[in-house]
Amino acid sequence: MPPYRSKVRVLEKYQIIGFISSGTYGRVYKARSRTPGNKKEFAIKKFKPDKEGEVIQYTGISQSACREMALCSELSHENVIHLHEIILEDKCIYMVFEYAEHDLLQIIHYHSQNPDRRPIPETTVKSVLWQLLNGVSYLHQNWVLHRDLKPANIMVTAAGEVKIGDLGLARLFYKPIQSLYTGDKVVVTIWYRAPELLLGSKHYTTAIDTWAVGCIFAELLALRPIFKGEEAKMEKKSTVPFQRNQMQKIIEILGTPTPERWPDVRQNPEYHQLSSFKQYGDNLKAWYQQIGQTNPQGYDLLAGLLNYDPTQRLSAQQALEHPYFHEGAKLSLNAFEGQTFEYPHRRVTQEDNDISLPGTKRSGLPDDSIAGNRAKRLKEG
Amino acid sequence: MAANYWSSSQRLHWQMSREKLAEIRHNLDAQDEKAVQAYPLPSYRQLSIFFNSRTACPSQLIRLGRRMQVRQQALATAQLYVRRFYTKVPIRDTNPFLVMATCLYLALKMEECPQHIRIVVSEARSCFSDIMPAYPEKLAECEFYVISELNSYLIVHHPYRTLQELTPILNLTSEDNSTSWQVINDSCVTDLPLIYPPHIIALTAIFLSVVLKSSPSQTSLHTTAAAAAAAAAAVATNPVANVPAIPANTGGDFNGGGASTNLSGNGQGQQQNRVGRLIEWYAESKVDMEAIIDCTQEIISLYEVWESLPPQAEKVFKEQLCKMVKQRGIS
Repeated sequence: MPPYRSKVRVLEKYQIIGFISSGTYGRVYKARSRTPGNKKEFAIKKFKPDKEGEVIQYTGISQSACREMALCSELSHENVIHLHEIILEDKCIYMVFEYAEHDLLQIIHYHSQNPDRRPIPETTVKSVLWQLLNGVSYLHQNWVLHRDLKPANIMVTAAGEVKIGDLGLARLFYKPIQSLYTGDKVVVTIWYRAPELLLGSKHYTTAIDTWAVGCIFAELLALRPIFKGEEAKMEKKSTVPFQRNQMQKIIEILGTPTPERWPDVRQNPEYHQLSSFKQYGDNLKAWYQQIGQTNPQGYDLLAGLLNYDPTQRLSAQQALEHPYFHEGAKLSLNAFEGQTFEYPHRRVTQEDNDISLPGTKRSGLPDDSIAGNRAKRLKEG
Repeated sequence: MAANYWSSSQRLHWQMSREKLAEIRHNLDAQDEKAVQAYPLPSYRQLSIFFNSRTACPSQLIRLGRRMQVRQQALATAQLYVRRFYTKVPIRDTNPFLVMATCLYLALKMEECPQHIRIVVSEARSCFSDIMPAYPEKLAECEFYVISELNSYLIVHHPYRTLQELTPILNLTSEDNSTSWQVINDSCVTDLPLIYPPHIIALTAIFLSVVLKSSPSQTSLHTTAAAAAAAAAAVATNPVANVPAIPANTGGDFNGGGASTNLSGNGQGQQQNRVGRLIEWYAESKVDMEAIIDCTQEIISLYEVWESLPPQAEKVFKEQLCKMVKQRGIS
């Protein structure tokens, strides 16, 4: 067949403003439409070709890229990042998303770095959490598990709308042909990983996403991750190590997971590991007070999302109906409503904004060299 | 979306009327009339059988799928990708064997049972011979082509799910279920997945499997189906009317086995009761009976074309396609 040619060319249609970030998947650029009269901004995610070499060849698109393309094309919800188009050009995949000025990691960072550590206003926390749950609920109703919810993946537009992003790990869970466990063994950034996954459960349910939402809620309140474990590295490729330190962090705050609190806990493959942990009581309330929180409904919601037992953990839909959202000031769909300050805009760099270059990672680029907490956290998180 | 057919890309972007589909194909042919004249190919329906069918003419895609022990659902997805692709691209501009292998490779990823590209290529070569390019890069390049023409809408809804959901509700026997399953497989050989929603196809398959069994002594599928269609039409136009009896005569049955040995009823009367109850249920559920009749006719005429294909058809089709691919230099 004649060589494949894209009908649309990225650079003819979009002007690249700068480089935003990079990850294992590839790189993200900020761009502006060249369409006269509609100079909207976009974030263009360029997938890295599988093999990097001097001459890039077609190698077959990775399964996760296929999933992300298919799911993003199918999804349509105000709290899930909107895919504008996909361009397949010159052996590369470009996914063009709506642009979001902020993300939760950046917002949390802004507050935690602030000299007086001013907390995120409660109206903002409520609005962000409600919109996040609303998006997660939509995903779950459509049989989509996100599997990698974390602050860096939750975008917020300049208008204060929350947009769940990065569906690179997302999967449909309707009667899967293979167990969801096979394929990609490790899912969800360790700090947001649900206890059943840490204990080796092979049954992925929507509860793994709501656990992550609970962790994000806690982080919005505390301005630091609630369970900041250290990741045990894989020694052999075939075996997934038990994440002892992460489990320890959870147990220190939530207490030992007993069969009284979690009837099926013994069913987990790594249950035996728990016997070697020191016994703890439930310290979540103390933690909540210690970070300066006083709203009892907030505590109740947090405890519901961080329930050890995945079958009792609040679903996204249940959480949306929680009194926390329905007391006090009216919930706003603009997370920034009433704020007297403005968050800094997303950092966009000019040094490396040539989107047409091959997706090879070169040293000395901003993504490798941003000094300090954020870059480190991006890597770990 | 993914769980909901009504807001799916399949319904919003990939469902069309029969007339629209005919027009699309006419326009594709008109794009290069010279090629159409120079390279006569089997009709769309015949090609469809050649690409997809299960028995009469052991088809290419299914043969490849069987060889690789692919799950039926992934195969159905691949079949629908091929069908969608050829509503966008003139077949004479492509190497259909490469397109089939590519659609299967992509479907396997989307249905969560991926196979390595090299395996797909080598299996496709053993299946299709050297008309299939040997280099994985060709298939990977074709994948860009396919995804691009499909507008990245890769999540598809199949009738199997509706069948599974309705099996307990309609008290279908395991035999009904497997016959329906087969009819759904056969529907993938037709244009129905482009024209009708998956639940309509599932309801048609159930309807056919129950109705055809109710007349164990049928001589021709066509007569039975016509009778069934008449029965359905009667209900559609007048839901309170009594369900007409389905003629019961002599001869073979749908599946080659003894149809009267069904699990739910031993007698003919009981079986006809089941048909009656099924039609009543359809009427109460406001099922679009016109659509069911149309689908029934499509499936029946597929079986007729199948039966009428001469044994050498496969060879002839393949030669025509290979000649076209080679002479046009589009391997």
